[in-house]
Amino acid sequence: MATFEGVTDFMNVLIVEDEKSLALEIDEYLSREGFTVEHARTCKTAEEKMFVNNYDFILLDLGLPDGDGFDLLKTLKKMSNREDAVIVLTARGEVDDRVRGLEEGADDYLPKPFSLNELLARMHAITRRKHKLESNEVNLKGFKINIQNRTVCHGEERINLTKKEFEIFNYLVLNKNRVISRTNLTEHVWGDVLEINSDSNFVDVHVKNLRKKLSQYAPIDWFETVRSIGYRINI
Amino acid sequence: MKLQFKLTVYNTVTKLAIILCTAVVILFSLEKISYHHISLRLEDKKNEFLRHLSSTTVKDLLQQQDTFIDYNILKDDYIILKEVKYEPINTVIDTFSTAQRTIDRTTETYRILSCKFNYNKKTYFLEVGNTIDAVEQVKETIKSYTLFILIAALTLTLFIDLIFTKYLLNPLYKIIDTKLIRVNDPLNYDYQKISTSTQDFNLLDDSINTLMRKISQMFLLEKQFIANVSHELLTPISIITSRLENILAYETLSEDAENKIFGSLKTLNRLKSIINSLLLISQVENNQFNKADQVNLSEVLHEIQEELEDRIEDKGIKLNQKLKHHITITANRALIHTMLYNVINNAIKYNRLNGHIDITDSLDGSDYVLEITDTGVGMANEQIQRAFERFEKLDTDERESFGLGLAIVKSIAAFHNIAIGITSIKDAGTTISLKFNQLSTSHNLHK
Repeated sequence: MATFEGVTDFMNVLIVEDEKSLALEIDEYLSREGFTVEHARTCKTAEEKMFVNNYDFILLDLGLPDGDGFDLLKTLKKMSNREDAVIVLTARGEVDDRVRGLEEGADDYLPKPFSLNELLARMHAITRRKHKLESNEVNLKGFKINIQNRTVCHGEERINLTKKEFEIFNYLVLNKNRVISRTNLTEHVWGDVLEINSDSNFVDVHVKNLRKKLSQYAPIDWFETVRSIGYRINI
Repeated sequence: MKLQFKLTVYNTVTKLAIILCTAVVILFSLEKISYHHISLRLEDKKNEFLRHLSSTTVKDLLQQQDTFIDYNILKDDYIILKEVKYEPINTVIDTFSTAQRTIDRTTETYRILSCKFNYNKKTYFLEVGNTIDAVEQVKETIKSYTLFILIAALTLTLFIDLIFTKYLLNPLYKIIDTKLIRVNDPLNYDYQKISTSTQDFNLLDDSINTLMRKISQMFLLEKQFIANVSHELLTPISIITSRLENILAYETLSEDAENKIFGSLKTLNRLKSIINSLLLISQVENNQFNKADQVNLSEVLHEIQEELEDRIEDKGIKLNQKLKHHITITANRALIHTMLYNVINNAIKYNRLNGHIDITDSLDGSDYVLEITDTGVGMANEQIQRAFERFEKLDTDERESFGLGLAIVKSIAAFHNIAIGITSIKDAGTTISLKFNQLSTSHNLHK
C-alpha cells in the first residue's frame, strides 16, 4: 500500500540496528508502507552496503557491537554525491547525542522507544524537505492538504485551521486507515514532554474543533472516533 | 564559642589562678618569716638585757624617773623598763604583739616583746620593740610587683595563646571548612590532605576522606545503575512498542484484542516516561549538562504558558504573569525550561477548576526570587517535606502522575544552585519560590 500518492514507493531503507527483533519490526512496518528494506547489524556490513547502494533512508543506531554509529555517519558524509537521509535512533540517552547527531549531518534524531507512526511521519517530513516535491498536495475526499504551506482547502475555499489542528489532521491523514491513540497524537503534536498527561481531554478539544471546521464543507463520516482509544481516518 | 577561644580563656584563667596563689603564699610566708626573725631578735635582746642586769644598773636606769626608755637614733628599736606593783613570778612569760608606739613624737608600728620579771623583790615590766615598717614596705613592693607581673604575663600569654591555638587549630578549621561545610556534592570533593603535624587531625582528615570515598562510590554506583538500567530498559520497550504497533495492522484482530494492545502501548508509554525522568535526574546529578546558556526567564515562562495553554484552558484556570524584572541568567536553557514547566504543570494539575496561578518576582538583596502560587489542594506539613522525594505523589485524580516532577525540579535546582522554598496551606494553595543566587548565575538586570 502506498501512502502520499506513491511518493515513498520504491524508496529503499537501510536499517543499521544490532537488535534483530527491533530491526524486523521496523522492516515489517516500512515494507507494508511500500519501502524496500535492508538490514545491517554491524558497522562493517553497514559500510559495505553503503558503498554498494544509495539509500533514501538510513536508520542508524548509535551503539553497535563493532563501533559507534557516529563513525558510520562520518564515513557516509565523506562520500561524494550521496543524498541518503539519516535518522539517528538511539537508547543511549546521552545529553549531547541529539546535538552531535544533527551537527554530524543527520537529518533527524529519534530517541528509543519511539512509535513507528512517528518514525514514518518524520521520514515523510524529510522526503518533502529533501525533494521539494512539486505535487505537495494530498487529496482527501475533496479536501486538499498542502503540506508545504500547511493549509487545507475545500475546492477553492481555504479552511482556517490553527497550527495544532493542522498538525493533528496531517498526522492522521499520513497514518490513514490506522487507529492513532491519544497518547501517540499528543506526543506527536506536543512533543516528548515529561509527565505529559495523555489521559486529559485537551487533544479531544482540538479534534472537536477540527471536525467542526471540516464538517462545514462536507460530511466527514470518514473521520472516526475509535471508542476510548483515539482517532482514525478511513479511506 | 570557638575551640580556639575556649582554649585561650582556659589557659588565661589557670595562669591567673596560679599567679594569684603564688602571690598570696609569698606574701603570707614573707610576713611569717620576717615576724619570726624579729621575734627571735627581740628575745635575744631581752635575754642580753636581763643577763647584764644588776641592782646598780636598775637603780641607775630608774634613777630619775620610774620609767626608763631608750631607743636608737632612727627609732628602729626601743626598750622600756618600769617598776610595777609587786607580784610573785615564777617563770618569765614573753608576750608578742604588733602595735603602734609613739616614741619621741614619732608613731610607728612595732613588733613588741613584753614581759614581767622579779628582781630584788621588786617587779619590773620590760618592753622591747622593733619596727616592722621595713617589712611592710617589702610587702607593698612585692604586691605591686606581683600585680605588674600578673598583668604583663596575662596580656602576653593571652596574645601568645591566641596565636598558638590559632596555629594549632588551623588544620582543624580547614578540615571543617573545606571537607564538611563546603561539600554539597560528594563527586566534587577535594581529597587533598590538609597538612598538619597533629596526629589527631591527620586521623580526622583521613577518616573523613575515607568516608567521602565510600559515599561518592555509592553515589556513583547508584547513578550508573540508573543510567545503565534506563538504557537497558529502553531497547526492549522499543521492541515491544514496535511489535504491538505491527500487530495492530493485522486485519483479523478482534476489537477486544485491539483495545488491549492500545492499553499496553499506553502502559509502555508510561514506563518510558518514568525511565526518561529517572535518566534525566541521573544525568543532571552527574553534571552531564553544561550551563552556559543565557536564559531569559520571562521568555521561557511565555513559552511554557503557550505549551500548557490547552491544559490551562481545559481547567478554566487564569494565569497571571506579573514579572517586574527582566532577568537573564546563565544556566542550561532546556533544564530551566523543564524545571519551570514542571512547577507550572503541577500548579495546573493540583489546581481547582477555574482557579488561578500567579507568577510574581522580587529582588531579595542580590538574589532574584520567582514565586509561583496556585489555588490548588495545597499540602499539609508532612506532605511538604516529602514532596521532593522520588515517586511521592499527592492523592490525586490524575492517573498519569509518576511523582517524579518535583524530584526533577529539585535536581535541576540543585544543579543551578537555585534555592527552592515551598509554603502551602491545605485546601488553599501552594507557593513555590525559586531563589536564583547571584553567586552562581550572574544576573543581568535591565528594568
